[in-house]
Amino acid sequence: MTARDADSPAAPKLSAQGITKSFDGREVLHGISFDVRGGEFLSILGPSGCGKSTILRILIGLEHPDAGRVLLDGEDITDAAPSSRHMGIVFQDYALFENMTALGNVEYALRFDPARRARRSQIALEALASLGMADYADKPVAGLSGGQMQRVSIARTLALNPEVILLDEPTSGLDADARLALRSQLKDIQRNHGTTMVFITHDQEESFALADRVMVMGEGSIHQLDESLRIVENPADDYVRDFVVANLKAKYDSLARFASPLE
Amino acid sequence: MACQTNSRGSKLLKVALLLFFLLAVALPLIGMFSRLADPQVREVFGTQAFATACINSLVVAATTTVISVAAALVMSWVLCRTAIHGKGVLAVLLTVPMLVPSLAHGMSLVYLLGSNGMITNMLHGTWSIYGFAGIVMGSFLYSFPPAFLMIYDVMRYEDATPCQAADVLGIPKSSQFVRITLPFLSKPLVSATFATFALVITDYGVPLMVGGKVMTLPVLMYQNAVGLLDFDTGAAIGFVLLIPAVIDFVVDLLARDSASSRYVSRGFDLRPRVARDAVGYVVAVAVTLALLAPVASFCMVSFVTKYPIDLAPTFANVGRALTMGAGSYWVNSLFIALVVSILGTIIAYLVAYITARVGGVSARLLHLASVTTLVVPGIVLGLSFALAFRGSPIYGTFAILILVNLVHFIASPYLMAYNSLSKVNKNLEAVGQTMGVGRVRIVLDVLVPATADTIAEMFSFFFVNCMVTISAVSFLSTTLNMPLALLVTDLDAQRLVECSAFVSVLILATNVVEKVVVAALRRHRHAQPSVSC
Repeated sequence: MTARDADSPAAPKLSAQGITKSFDGREVLHGISFDVRGGEFLSILGPSGCGKSTILRILIGLEHPDAGRVLLDGEDITDAAPSSRHMGIVFQDYALFENMTALGNVEYALRFDPARRARRSQIALEALASLGMADYADKPVAGLSGGQMQRVSIARTLALNPEVILLDEPTSGLDADARLALRSQLKDIQRNHGTTMVFITHDQEESFALADRVMVMGEGSIHQLDESLRIVENPADDYVRDFVVANLKAKYDSLARFASPLE
Repeated sequence: MACQTNSRGSKLLKVALLLFFLLAVALPLIGMFSRLADPQVREVFGTQAFATACINSLVVAATTTVISVAAALVMSWVLCRTAIHGKGVLAVLLTVPMLVPSLAHGMSLVYLLGSNGMITNMLHGTWSIYGFAGIVMGSFLYSFPPAFLMIYDVMRYEDATPCQAADVLGIPKSSQFVRITLPFLSKPLVSATFATFALVITDYGVPLMVGGKVMTLPVLMYQNAVGLLDFDTGAAIGFVLLIPAVIDFVVDLLARDSASSRYVSRGFDLRPRVARDAVGYVVAVAVTLALLAPVASFCMVSFVTKYPIDLAPTFANVGRALTMGAGSYWVNSLFIALVVSILGTIIAYLVAYITARVGGVSARLLHLASVTTLVVPGIVLGLSFALAFRGSPIYGTFAILILVNLVHFIASPYLMAYNSLSKVNKNLEAVGQTMGVGRVRIVLDVLVPATADTIAEMFSFFFVNCMVTISAVSFLSTTLNMPLALLVTDLDAQRLVECSAFVSVLILATNVVEKVVVAALRRHRHAQPSVSC
């Protein structure tokens, strides 16, 4: 299934073209195509098991598609090593190196980059500071809260200065306050650094609150890719109407009775 | 999800490890059991000696299993459910018998309960421990610690909430134990039962020392293969000895999953209660004495002038044991144990890394190969090596003893590493790949520090078992490479009981020192702060 953005004016930053992937004989992605614009915040929204994480892993090169291509700035990177794609990834479970401090985590990969090895502590501290984690630089990550660990994980990705950051449900394990704080920091990073972000989530409200555009997925196919408001106004099919619009409306209705006191 | 990218290095490693298991496990065993194709070899199954040994082995193993598992359950209850003092020390003391060879357990029973034993003389007893009673008692000493660890390690993590709910409902404690705790322990109890049975039925150390006229299968196998050089009969009996181990393996595989998925949510509130704690103290003292009195006995005998005639203290036995070669055999053992511990830990860790974090069909094969080594009793492995490597350059050298010990003991450390590496975040290598950090660096910089405690346990497991084992090595050692544990029987056969006891003390002391050093290193490591780069 193809969800090409008909009115996309500029050349896309990142493109997936006809991506198909099977695991153990079961096809989980059915030839999907989409573009991500430079500097945009694209949210991939879908229920668990719809193939969201597999797309992310294919985009960054941790999985190889059975068919299709991945393009970055028009260049085919389908067979490129993950580390040469100028992308970073943030996982839901942080994937931090627990034997190291926050600073150790962020500067670890810089040790292997000859150009930045000498300045690694400075770069790492700046990345931590941009997420409000400078005071925790010398703390072992094992002792940090979920929100703090996720911010270290994002700082670790930022320190390598990627052109695209892929976020695999980064707020899922966090409590409500930490989720809100992290969302606003992610938007700040996007605005301040102009970084392209692809964010996957199963949470409709989070997806619509954060993204410039939302890509709605179900069972390995794209149902709609559009700006948030246009999806709500013109859902492409019953699936989008039920999974997205009805769900958002139910959340809105349950909160509507607090509207006046909150105002 | 394991990383998709399988580097050439990890493919080569997989092939090398699979070849290792093929050459060191599969081929020797296939070679040995192919002898059973000859109908003449199978005639041993129809002999009276075989039938008697079978029945004796079954009776001895079943009786010991009941006693060991029951005692292990009661002792676990004492440590987990009473408010007695010194539980930490007790938990360590109860595992001390694991640090000496099974031969020493049999020998110590003679010192205590033999016709001139200390307790026999004290009570003017007229009993004989040689035979059924002796084998059961010695096997209990040998099999209680692992059974206890299997039950205790699960029971200590039992969630108190169901029992607290039962308290609120007025359900008596005895009923809670039967209806809540025992079902919770069902899997480890089944595992411990089969493991103890398999351990006892394949041991020849205890029956060799105190079996008297009661012939068991391992002793029959040993006498035929080593004494009479009748390898065919040895191979046939070895095949039979695989059966209980295979059953244990299958049962353990079925029981493992659900036991490991449990987690603690609330611990038991153990306020002192006089009656319960009094029972706890009595049981703890009785079991600990039963386990440690034999150990104490050979410690004592090794420093008396002439047991049991002249009990005057002396160090002369140390000198005599050293002139009999204890020193050089100790160096042999230490060398073998250290090399096996280092090599074994590296190989088991590499296999576990492949199976837990790389994946693929060959990884599943490697997992199967590693855990399958659990099935092979030491004496069977030893004989298969003797047959496979006779005439090869490594026969009669340290290399064959190192190889056989490595294969014999690799399954448990492998499973330790597998469980530990499986628990570490699965996305670390993926993060490394995206940041340009290779697998090897992630292993060395992140996984090894994260699993350092397990690595220490693996090393310790290899070391202690190499120091105490007699089963596999007894078929393969010569005067040039003989490990110390085998000197226990040699000296005992020469009526040098004090020197023989000293050898057991030396093995115990070496293992205690190793445990203390490893514990100190772990403590030192935990005291270190986390690292930056």
